[in-house]
Amino acid sequence: MVSDNKPILEVKGLKVGIEGTPILKGIDLMIPKGEIHAIMGRNGSGKTTTANVIMGHPAYEIEEGEMFLDGESLDDMEPWERSREGVFLSFQYPQSIPGLQVGNFLRKSVSSVRGEEAARGSEFREKLTSAMEELDIPKSFLSRYVNDGFSGGEKKRFEILQLMLLQPRLAVLDETDSGLDIDGIRTVSKGINSVVRGTENGALIITHYSRILEHVNPDRVHIMIGGKIVASGGPSLANLLEDNGYDWLEEQVEKGVDFE
Amino acid sequence: MDASSQYLSADYPDRADHLWRYTPWKKIHPTGDISDIPSDFSIPEVSLKTIDGSTLPPGISLDRGDADSEGLPDEEKITKSFLEAVTGDSKFTLTVAPKFKSEVPIIIEISTSGTFCSAHVCLDIGKLAELELVTVVRGTCKWFGMLRTGSTGEGAITSDVVVNRLEHGKLLRVESISIPRNSQFKAGTVSSGSTVTKADLRYRMFQPGGNLNVLGSILSAKEMSLDHHIEIYHDSPETFSRLDWNSACGGSSRTVGTGMLRVSKGSNGADAAQLFQNLLLSRDAQADSIPELEVSEHDVVGCGHGTASGPVDEDQMFYLASRGLSPNESKSTLIAAFLNSTLSEMGGERMHGWLVSELDSDLTELGD
Repeated sequence: MVSDNKPILEVKGLKVGIEGTPILKGIDLMIPKGEIHAIMGRNGSGKTTTANVIMGHPAYEIEEGEMFLDGESLDDMEPWERSREGVFLSFQYPQSIPGLQVGNFLRKSVSSVRGEEAARGSEFREKLTSAMEELDIPKSFLSRYVNDGFSGGEKKRFEILQLMLLQPRLAVLDETDSGLDIDGIRTVSKGINSVVRGTENGALIITHYSRILEHVNPDRVHIMIGGKIVASGGPSLANLLEDNGYDWLEEQVEKGVDFE
Repeated sequence: MDASSQYLSADYPDRADHLWRYTPWKKIHPTGDISDIPSDFSIPEVSLKTIDGSTLPPGISLDRGDADSEGLPDEEKITKSFLEAVTGDSKFTLTVAPKFKSEVPIIIEISTSGTFCSAHVCLDIGKLAELELVTVVRGTCKWFGMLRTGSTGEGAITSDVVVNRLEHGKLLRVESISIPRNSQFKAGTVSSGSTVTKADLRYRMFQPGGNLNVLGSILSAKEMSLDHHIEIYHDSPETFSRLDWNSACGGSSRTVGTGMLRVSKGSNGADAAQLFQNLLLSRDAQADSIPELEVSEHDVVGCGHGTASGPVDEDQMFYLASRGLSPNESKSTLIAAFLNSTLSEMGGERMHGWLVSELDSDLTELGD
């Protein structure tokens, strides 16, 4: 485990576009070890782009800025290298892969990220069984094809199952709460907490609602509007936003209100 | 008239025909000289065994001798008469007793050698039998001709998979299977061998309640040319068929899948669909799929067809990369998944495991 004081994630002045259209217009973000941060924002504000760019999606052009994981630059790393270094993205819309069985996929993934030994033998099976029980996932799930015919809730639970097995340094969770009922949110939150709380790992949760944040209790909340983080504060900022709306928040930002 | 005379008097097939559009007879003929019937054909080694090497259960046997040619498509005189002419002493019959059951899949292993080689395998599957059968063709011959004919018994449940693992050369495969009342038949084709393949596969449901699944997992690389024509006949009421044909094409290879679905008048309640999917793995790879329908009955449940071709999906690649798989690992995983979606439907878990292990090394090469 890393024990220096470098943050898990540091994003400096990040400007990103796609096919010439600017999306992120200068993002600064720092997640210290052991912390969970949340980003909230309207549709189209750049939240998913932020998640994809941290993972290294090839469709986005980085115009300016830098990203660091544990002090190491992510800029020249391919997505698979970032994953092996400890970045994990829980997708808003996970891809289905007909023909690829869940059990095989999990072994491949754990083997790639944590080494072949981690994907072998009884230790892997025990971890898998325990994580599946915690997430209320039946054993029959292992013989299904990846996300093929899964309900919205099953897809999100499967993303968290992968998170629990891969134990990443940084988990980026893009609207993991959408498509989940209240029990599902509680179960998934438990999974997220088990990976981050009490460790030196970190997480960035992207969401529209404060509901999931009540279960994971983030250390910081950031509000994103028009490709920029316009406000940051403690967990109460999420409730303030939900009670008053984005127009109100924009007015407060214009007035120079500090939410710290 | 004997088979040789029939062949020599037959009309040369028209390239406008669905069957001959892409691989003309001259291209698949052993010498390229269509007036020639070579005499130096060797007989392959043919053996019957279980997939795990255990003792064969009682009620199944493979005998050399006469094979029944009944049911062969008369309309294709060229291939029928040519193969009959060259499989003279190379005839084998698989006899499966009524109510036969085996927990373990059975393999007919055909080992070829020499320049020209041929075999006629006839399936005689008894009433209510339950069987998973793999016919695997291996070896080094330059040209192999395989005729497979036969029928299943009423109420039989059969998985019948043909695996082409020829090291190189040409394969001509002609097949005609009859499916009677309440019989379920899965016909699988796994092809990763031979340089040129021409297959004419015909399945006929001639009594009510016939149920047919035709599945293909085709892997072409380098300069291979693999051409499969599948014809499904609904010749009786309440018959069901599905065709799912997946081809992964790399290098400068070409795969062709042509389907013909015929629903004859009086086959009310027929339910049929065919889907060809192609995964293009290189710029020079080529895939042609042409499903066709000929429906002469109005009262059908459905008759549909479709085709889709494209490269490896970039979003799926990103998803796998986000889980630590390198580009090569991601690509070979996606190719395997694509082929597996039909392969896994061909039989039970044991047969599936065996088929995956047969394809494994070829998949790794193709992903590189």
